[in-house]
Amino acid sequence: MIRVSHLHKSFRVHRRDAGWLEAVRHLWRRDYRVIEAVKDVSFTIEKGEIVGFLGPNGAGKTTTMKMLAGLLHPTSGEITVGGFVPFEQKPEFKKMMSLVMGQKSQLIWDIPPLETFLVNKAIYDIDDRLFRQTLEELTELLDLAPLLDKPTRSLSLGQRMRCELAAALLHRPHVLFLDEPTIGLDVHTQENVRRFIVDYNREHETTILLTSHYMGDVAALCDRVMIINYGRLIYDGDLSVLTEKLAPYKRLEVRFSRLPNVDWSEYGEVAEMEEGTVVLRVAREAAAETAARLLERFDVRDINIEDPPLEEVIARAFWEERV
Amino acid sequence: MRRYGRVFREFFRACLVEELEYRSEFFGNFIASFFGLGIALLTIHIFFYQTDRLGGWTYGEVLVLLGVFNALRGFIDFALRPNMPRLLEHVRRGTLDYILTKPVDSMFYVSFRHLVFWRLIDVALGLGVIGYGLYVERYVPSAADVLMFFVVMTASLLLIYSLWMMLMTTSFWVVRIDDLSFIFDSFFDTARFPGSMYRGAVRFVITYVLPAVLITNTPALALLGKWSMAAVLAALAVAMLFLWASRRFWRFALRFYTGAGG
Repeated sequence: MIRVSHLHKSFRVHRRDAGWLEAVRHLWRRDYRVIEAVKDVSFTIEKGEIVGFLGPNGAGKTTTMKMLAGLLHPTSGEITVGGFVPFEQKPEFKKMMSLVMGQKSQLIWDIPPLETFLVNKAIYDIDDRLFRQTLEELTELLDLAPLLDKPTRSLSLGQRMRCELAAALLHRPHVLFLDEPTIGLDVHTQENVRRFIVDYNREHETTILLTSHYMGDVAALCDRVMIINYGRLIYDGDLSVLTEKLAPYKRLEVRFSRLPNVDWSEYGEVAEMEEGTVVLRVAREAAAETAARLLERFDVRDINIEDPPLEEVIARAFWEERV
Repeated sequence: MRRYGRVFREFFRACLVEELEYRSEFFGNFIASFFGLGIALLTIHIFFYQTDRLGGWTYGEVLVLLGVFNALRGFIDFALRPNMPRLLEHVRRGTLDYILTKPVDSMFYVSFRHLVFWRLIDVALGLGVIGYGLYVERYVPSAADVLMFFVVMTASLLLIYSLWMMLMTTSFWVVRIDDLSFIFDSFFDTARFPGSMYRGAVRFVITYVLPAVLITNTPALALLGKWSMAAVLAALAVAMLFLWASRRFWRFALRFYTGAGG
């Protein structure tokens, strides 16, 4: 469905030192610097696959995704999506794909989401019967019924994201690009969005490429992950292999009424220590038991066990490996 | 083409809903438009205390011109002006990406997505003033006059659209100015009066370089029976040329935005 070979993208950006004199000089003399955002990336994604695309900020995820969606012109290399060359921006291509960006909204702010859906219906030239049928299905799956007639601005972030997904799926795309779809959502809503994506994929065999910061997203959704860092694809394969390699530990954030003065190495590796709070890195299997031990021995006000943030994990696994 | 008609209708409907959400005051706007036009009429009236010709145009003729000007400005405020700040927003926030993934022409989308329908009042009032001007002039346009009027008016709309679009397109580079429309306004305001009133370089510029005068004067003259086939064809040709240029410029800007070319 998606074929990418030897993809490169470089940008020319202005470079400017600080200070007002510099700013004035910059008016007529600009220094440019070339940034290579994506370097020699190749991969193939088959129909119906959900692939997680991971990497820290600025690694080239979004740039690659934009090239796949036809929004950016590759500097070199080849892409085909469903047989189309994205950057030709043919209407037939646009009708078979869809893009959702967690940080950017396509819903019309002041009026109910249903209105945006109707605008999209006209734009994608969806016939009445199919539109009703699709909307019904999405309403059911995403539990939209109570939201459809409320102004978008009055919806919560999570409710809005559900509507964004619906708006993007009305024309039944074969390929779906999700850029940080769960960003900023609470855990419960993240869960719902994930479940929806899995169900939808199973039902329609939609090919999905997803970028995310959250390990949780990827763990719940994708069997296969690709990791990009500094513009290079550094891992493409099974998720299960990766998790063990990448995140053998959990993050234990413990808040005390009064920080006890003990040797923490008995419990785990100290990642951060602040007034009354300690963040420990603890081996995955030992996390629950360590938490229990802490609760038993100290006056703990709050304890939090979570997967380490992806950036940290990737930095540890790949950055350290390199250096 | 039919599909674009449907999309436009849908834009109109969505904007109507949006407008009603805020219950923008229809009457307030109506009164404001009415006042604006009243003042313009008064200005012309005062001019004609001093003289009975303005650049060779009689009072009635100038009224027809004012009517054309008002109707065209109504169109700008209806379809074009509301979209200018939005394009800036789209570029700044990156939501233009959504528009570019839609299977509909992006230039069409960014220029007509937002409509302020009550501005059509100005179009109606403008047509009213045209009628009044013709009455003062005691001139009944022939069928050919009316036909030519509509042809030239279409050319004017295309010209305005193209000029506006080119200005709007600069927002890919000039993202820090919130509203570029004042540039257009100061130029378009010169079109309120007969071109023959202006002298020297100004006249040259607003006739040939940025054809503000052409935009309002030709339709007014056509309706007053003072058209020539050559002028009508020239107006159409110029309109096509500008439309082509604005299209090219939009494409160029998109290539810049998407990092193709350059």
